[in-house]
Amino acid sequence: MTEAELDPVIHAQARLRVVATLASFAPHDRIAFAKLQQLLGMTAGNLSTHLRKLEAAEYVEVAKSFQGRSPVTHISLTARGRLAFEDYTAAVTKILGGTP
Amino acid sequence: MAPDGPPLEPDDTASAPEGSEPVPTDPALDDAPLAPEQVLDIIREQRLVVRDRVEPDGRLLFGAWGTAWLVGYLVLFSTARDSATHTPAGWSFAVFFTLIAAAIAVTIVHTVRRSIGIAGPTGRSGAMYGWSWTIGFVAVFLIMTGLTRAGADPVVVNLGWNALPCLLVGVLYLASGALWQSTVLYVLGAWIVLVGGVATVVGLPATFLVMALAGGGGMFVGALATHVREYRGERRAGSRSELRSAP
Repeated sequence: MTEAELDPVIHAQARLRVVATLASFAPHDRIAFAKLQQLLGMTAGNLSTHLRKLEAAEYVEVAKSFQGRSPVTHISLTARGRLAFEDYTAAVTKILGGTP
Repeated sequence: MAPDGPPLEPDDTASAPEGSEPVPTDPALDDAPLAPEQVLDIIREQRLVVRDRVEPDGRLLFGAWGTAWLVGYLVLFSTARDSATHTPAGWSFAVFFTLIAAAIAVTIVHTVRRSIGIAGPTGRSGAMYGWSWTIGFVAVFLIMTGLTRAGADPVVVNLGWNALPCLLVGVLYLASGALWQSTVLYVLGAWIVLVGGVATVVGLPATFLVMALAGGGGMFVGALATHVREYRGERRAGSRSELRSAP
């Protein structure tokens, strides 16, 4: 396993932070967009861009709903995304010479 | 990777909740090459951000309850000791229940604030767990009302009002420790159940002294244990997410 083989969807600073944050929650937990933005300190536009890439890889699920009259967007890590993150972490650990 | 998003806006770090460490953010670095050495640091850092801003801080909650129990029960003890029937004065109950109400308020405000914006199984478990406290205390109230109506002696009523909530709180801590695999919560639950039992056996007015020192003291030990195990230890030894994600 070399650095070039690391999952390119996750192996970028911003998306790694998004995925690592979502993976810190229990499986199937859904995080409001505004909350995720707060936890990451990213702008809304920036976060949306990276979420689109993660959504295209089916690593995250973006669900829009209404709370009263205001629209809320919830983001969750898919089973596939969680697995990809675990594989990625194991691969990085291996590159660094640790035992995964 | 070419940046293909909309033009970047200036960062709005002012919207970060107070009392939390600023999260390093540099949009220019978003797609910058990432060294493997940085990866585990980033994962650990985000895990800590979630813990510090989303998960309830056990030290704060145990601290609030420890203070309420230590001070509240000492006040009850001081008036019960001077009473011929070994029952506390009315005003000391007022102080006690004010402190308990304050601890409940701290617990609710803190946990609700931290859980804003999170939906799904964790929120559902948390809500069901929260309701089991309310339902349990309604049952305690009904049982004690029934015992009082049946003509229980004031001393028995006092002991019951102390023992039943202790049993309930202790068992709920035991259950939460088992569910969320928290040794601190489990040990504290076992301790509270046993303290409640011993406090009942020693009888009034010593009951309140046992509750203050062993019960309130136990909460402070719980706060300290939480700090050592989950906060100090984690920063040194690495995050739980890192351990969890290892195959």
